[in-house]
Amino acid sequence: MKITDEQVIDKSAKWVVSFFVASAGLWLLAAALLAYIAAAKLTDPFFLSSFEFFTYGKVKIAQANAFVYGWGGNSIFAISIWIIARLSQAEVRGRVLLLVAGFIWNIGITLGLLGILDGHMNSHEMLEMPKEIWPLLFISYAIITCLIIVLHRSRKYSDTIAPQWFILAAILWFPALFLIAWNGLEINPSPGTVQSVLSMWFGQNLIWLWLTPFALGVAYYIIPSIIGKPIDKYYLAIFGFWCIASLAPWSVVHHLEGGPVPMWIPAIGTVMSIAMIFPIAVASTNFHATAFKDIDKVWNSLPLRFVIFGTLSYTISSYIGVIFSLPAVAKLTQFSIINEFHFNQRVYGFFSMIVFGAVYYMLPKITGKEITIAAKTFHFWTSALGVMMLLLAYLIGGLTHGVLAQQPDLDWANSVIASIQPYFLITEISFIILGFSQLVFVINIWKVLVPNPFEDTGRSKKFASKASTV
Amino acid sequence: MNNIFKFSFGIFSTLAVAWFAFVVGARKQFGDLSPTSSVLNEDGSIPEDSDLYPIAFSGAAQQGAEEYLSLGCATCHTQQVRLVEAGFDVERGWGKRPSVARDYILQNEVNIGNTRVGPDLANIGLREYSDEWLHQHLFEPQSLIEKSICPPNPFLYDIKDSNVSGALQIISEDNTTRFVKPGIKANRIVAYLQELRQDYELPEMSFVEEEEPVTSELVTIPTTSTKLPSWLSDQISSGKEIYTKVGPGGGGCVSCHQPTGLGQPGVFPPLVDSDWVLGDKERIIKISMHGLMGEIEVSGVKYNGVMIPPGVPPGSLTDQQIADVLTYIRNDWGNSGSAISPEEVAIVRDSVKDRGQMQMWTAAELNSDK
Repeated sequence: MKITDEQVIDKSAKWVVSFFVASAGLWLLAAALLAYIAAAKLTDPFFLSSFEFFTYGKVKIAQANAFVYGWGGNSIFAISIWIIARLSQAEVRGRVLLLVAGFIWNIGITLGLLGILDGHMNSHEMLEMPKEIWPLLFISYAIITCLIIVLHRSRKYSDTIAPQWFILAAILWFPALFLIAWNGLEINPSPGTVQSVLSMWFGQNLIWLWLTPFALGVAYYIIPSIIGKPIDKYYLAIFGFWCIASLAPWSVVHHLEGGPVPMWIPAIGTVMSIAMIFPIAVASTNFHATAFKDIDKVWNSLPLRFVIFGTLSYTISSYIGVIFSLPAVAKLTQFSIINEFHFNQRVYGFFSMIVFGAVYYMLPKITGKEITIAAKTFHFWTSALGVMMLLLAYLIGGLTHGVLAQQPDLDWANSVIASIQPYFLITEISFIILGFSQLVFVINIWKVLVPNPFEDTGRSKKFASKASTV
Repeated sequence: MNNIFKFSFGIFSTLAVAWFAFVVGARKQFGDLSPTSSVLNEDGSIPEDSDLYPIAFSGAAQQGAEEYLSLGCATCHTQQVRLVEAGFDVERGWGKRPSVARDYILQNEVNIGNTRVGPDLANIGLREYSDEWLHQHLFEPQSLIEKSICPPNPFLYDIKDSNVSGALQIISEDNTTRFVKPGIKANRIVAYLQELRQDYELPEMSFVEEEEPVTSELVTIPTTSTKLPSWLSDQISSGKEIYTKVGPGGGGCVSCHQPTGLGQPGVFPPLVDSDWVLGDKERIIKISMHGLMGEIEVSGVKYNGVMIPPGVPPGSLTDQQIADVLTYIRNDWGNSGSAISPEEVAIVRDSVKDRGQMQMWTAAELNSDK
């Protein structure tokens, strides 16, 4: 059989991508376990309460970090390396260095999470891992970034397309954001609430300028690949890209509405959040106008179904996000558990669903083994159900929480929090469903990545052919 | 877009513009705030001898802030009272005024938070919780607030079988009794919580005025009875004027002790049914001349604050005015005490004529003189 260029590229990426996908899967399970513990502690405060290691605050923050840096970071590395290699039509080079850097990254996160649980938490949003860990993470990230840029520079065609812009921008924005935040918070720290502005700016931008553009780039790559048609109204993509680049870093500070900072800061945030409807509309048009030309394929191809779930969720919940940034609404929902809705819709409903789709699309190509349809379908439906339940519970619970909190006469613990208790129970159930779903995902990828020592392919084939003749 | 360096330059410049506004701009605007006094001189300078706010945490509280952070308390508790237009935090009693940037400048760890599953803690130190109450809440919130979902922290305490010195008795929901002794971390956290208080005014933010239905009620309460001799009713109505007037010639008493004479729980002691008001005349006259500071017990409750000498400017009330206002507070809100004459005030004033005008009395000093 003739070996195509693509097979050579996939082969060159095999070990690196497998390593990152496998680590991402393990982090996903760790995050799922932590998410369950945190949710269970809200419904029963005595759950694991005698362990200093597992206070609610620590577990909750460890979960967010495991999710964003462990699952998010590793899957960004895996998928970026593969997509950039494919689009450059170049083989992945520096594989050993990539593996070493990836190993350091994962060790760093492990130590960081243990540090959080052991009580060495930092106070800045999404920088909660202990200070000593960050140089380690930064160096390993920088190595991987450099190798991805080298890969991109070795491309055969000089013209670049939307997936490359979004993925490369995401890869490059993270270290820039990190250096800005690290300088302003640790190297020459600012006094008082200047710190809070900066840490919120970093924490929210991490979602908006790292996870979001990456997932959009992946969608720009996978949708036309599977549908087999070019992106509809592709000329809008460049406008959408620069809109995100210029608006997102401004829009993220509206959560400080009414807080102890000068009023212009949340005000600019609010205006820019409203302006975000443009890039959201562009991405939505590009994706859905293309995908819905061939609705059968969306339904029948599981990777595409995951990706479209992600992009739909991005569109709907981003519009909801715009509504919640209006001052009149923000006044109600600020500080309520609606914040959990925003975080989870972005990392679960949008980012993770697209990553699932991309992994299912990518793994058979690089390993040459298929994943059973039934397992993928089970994973899709449990994920979809879990995510929807989770988001609805946080959305309705958040609105209830916000509205009741605005009535000064209601007793806090006995009225306000007691009335959102049922929603905490729903989130706990959702996290159990999601945990199962993610376990299935990890088993799915594990089966493809790790050869089963008990399986003798030759004999089982013979057996199968015998069985079919009987 | 095709050259990676031009592309990087583009995406970094869009980021840099926002960085310039939020980081450089914000730092330039309010990165160098310093403690200041509640009221500034007209030329914007800080008046001499005035107290500067905010006040730095004590050492224990500073360590407590670190424990608070490392346990992850900030995940559910904010520490910011929002502007009146942005929410009902002041109405809920979470603070006397909205928080401003200056309140946080001396804190190493700024825990303003962004989610309120638990109540706001910016002013927890003002809410009259005793150390014992806070310890009990930290140990097992459900023993105090049945429906609380705040997780217990038993690992901060030594659980004892019997009542040893320094231990607290905790009776849980299911009526089991335990004795617990706070560990060092628990003590630090409680010290920190007790020092979380924004109970001072700043030039940029004053206390939110309470809604005023209370005063309109007061108008309908007859303070002078027609049965009183005219010299007494004159003294009472003149005293009421001094009590309520905040400005030159007035006493300004109303701003702390309130139109109801009830003060503010935990902060300003009541005048109603108070032994200090209705008891020994000499003590109350002395307080009216020089003010009072430090711990004082009124009707069984301990207060710790500062009462500057009444009058605007402080200590400017004449013998006649002191006599009038004291006669008034001894005869309103259900109080009933004998009148105080200007002559009695003059005698007391003469006896302490060597005392400096701003040298405030302490409760212990007044009681030992008696």
